[in-house]
Amino acid sequence: MTETLTGRPDTPLPIAHHPVRDVLTGPVGSIGITLIIVLVAGLALIGPRFLSASNVTIAGQFVAIPMLIGGFASFALLAGVVDLSIGSIAGVAAAILGALLVNGWDIASAITLTLAACLLFGAINATAIVGFNADPIAATLGMLTGLRGATYVIVEAYGQSGSLFAFHDGLFALTNLMVWSLPLIFLVALGVTAVAAVIVGKTRLGRHTRAVGGDALAASRAGISVARVRTGALLLSALGAGLGGVLYVGQLGAVSRNLGFGLEFQVYAALMIGGFSILRGGVGSPAGGALGFLVIAGAANILDLSGISPYYVNIIVGMLLLAAVLLDRLRGGDAYE
Amino acid sequence: MADHAIGHAASAGRPGMRFRLDGWGTAAVVALAWVALVAVSAIHRADFVSHQTVLAITFTMSIVGVLAVGQALVGISGGFLDLSQPTSLILTALVASRLLALGLDPILVIPITLAVGAAWGLLNALIIVYGKLNPVIVTLATNFIGLAALFLIFQIAEAPIGSAFRAFGRGSFLGLPNIWWPMVALILIVGFLLPRTRYGRHAIAVGGNRFAAQARGISLRKTRFAIFVASGICAAMAGLLFAASSGPFTPASGTVYLLPVIAASILAGVSLGGGRGNIWLIMLSVGFLSTVPTALVFFGLTSDWQAIFQGVILMVAVAIDGYREKWVAR
Repeated sequence: MTETLTGRPDTPLPIAHHPVRDVLTGPVGSIGITLIIVLVAGLALIGPRFLSASNVTIAGQFVAIPMLIGGFASFALLAGVVDLSIGSIAGVAAAILGALLVNGWDIASAITLTLAACLLFGAINATAIVGFNADPIAATLGMLTGLRGATYVIVEAYGQSGSLFAFHDGLFALTNLMVWSLPLIFLVALGVTAVAAVIVGKTRLGRHTRAVGGDALAASRAGISVARVRTGALLLSALGAGLGGVLYVGQLGAVSRNLGFGLEFQVYAALMIGGFSILRGGVGSPAGGALGFLVIAGAANILDLSGISPYYVNIIVGMLLLAAVLLDRLRGGDAYE
Repeated sequence: MADHAIGHAASAGRPGMRFRLDGWGTAAVVALAWVALVAVSAIHRADFVSHQTVLAITFTMSIVGVLAVGQALVGISGGFLDLSQPTSLILTALVASRLLALGLDPILVIPITLAVGAAWGLLNALIIVYGKLNPVIVTLATNFIGLAALFLIFQIAEAPIGSAFRAFGRGSFLGLPNIWWPMVALILIVGFLLPRTRYGRHAIAVGGNRFAAQARGISLRKTRFAIFVASGICAAMAGLLFAASSGPFTPASGTVYLLPVIAASILAGVSLGGGRGNIWLIMLSVGFLSTVPTALVFFGLTSDWQAIFQGVILMVAVAIDGYREKWVAR
């Protein structure tokens, strides 16, 4: 699959780098400008209420968990192995945790076991993709379906009428905790983004991941273990989705059978708007990805406050997605012919 | 035979690989799995082997099979996936239902619905070809937009109750559901034409190696347009069968088909990278996948378990496929 996707017909002419211009014309720059447009539109349409602490809190709580999951999943994208199963992993993690809590497990061991299960799912993904050379989209689509089925079965077994009641005081308090008048989980998501940005941009691990995603053959010739990087990225992606599922249990207090359904598309749409690609590794930065989430959250919030049908959000997301990939191509990204 | 032609096109650049079991290896595995599944179910419960079971399986096969033809065409021609099928399926089902409710003759409704499906495919193709954007991302985005737009248009719809159209969807012919026969016809015809017509061979060649195809004077643009319009028409055909056979449907009703359809296409040996696949084998893969839910019922498992089995089957299939390609590449 990658052989038809990575062919870059002409290398761009060498242009002297200029830090300010690079940022403005790069993917992070365009998504940053989009975010500013959204903020201005919000202020113009909604008024000062748009940036009030209570509204930012609502929007922050809404976007925090997908953003956290996206921060982890972006490593898999960078390594060139898209993990479509993240939505289902979040769902099944919530279901497992809920079932364990219902059965009287203490929270620490329940969360540990849940995250261990998620790592196992990540390891299965990695075995299929890295070990057996399976196509990442198709293999993780299989994992997506299988774990959705597992979520149905668990919720059916331990819950009533398609929902598993799993309220936990501590977890609820944690997911609703406010720090500096912002939700803690939103700050955690921002923190994960910051750490990811440093890892990707400044460390050897990050450079290796980008190299593997950009050109696996060249990376392996340079002595980088492609298998190890991709396995690690898939494990990380599954772990992040599992953490997201755990936080959903705290936030929602119950696990519906469809928890996390379609979440992978929401997350990847945001990451792609932020400059990542689900088909080509090595591109994108965690900061851009986080801005992508903020743009969508801002747009959703504006529609919400204006009383406009939430379905318009998906229309906007779809348009932004097309615009973002088109912009990426015009900037010299891969052309599909 | 058909597969041989496709395999040949795909392996044109790799001499010595011509007689590899392209596609048929997967087919043999799927056929064995199918036989094993039927055998185990029949041993477990003798009443599994009944006309009722055959009816259930063939009914499930119909819509998945028609959509899988479109998905396979996209895959074979190197377009990877058409993720917008849930939208085109429901859009066309809605158009057909609304037109029938207006009292329009089904003879007119069918071509109009197929044209709507073709128009949806054309829209995808326009964005893909002129934007030079990857079909996976384009169809992901158009599906996002399309489903949201459908939710704005309607919440629930169905074809007029008691109409001849609905009667067709519920009826059967020669002991098998009416809606099964158009699927069989589509698979046989497309599977026959694909390796034997110029357009079909162009599609295979583009999927195998687009640069080589271009060098041979094949227009990539024309091929992309043809393939995505064909996929849209398949979705419209599925939409007609869906509107005829299902009860009330919502804009989200099409989403459940996407995964079985992709699984069916991959199990039929269609490579996501393009250039390889046999439409006829869809009969086998769809038959196998559609037997799973019915068999599960006989084992006392709810339909919730179906997704687990489908997921496992898909993962195993792509792992085998990937493993084989890795060894061939060496």
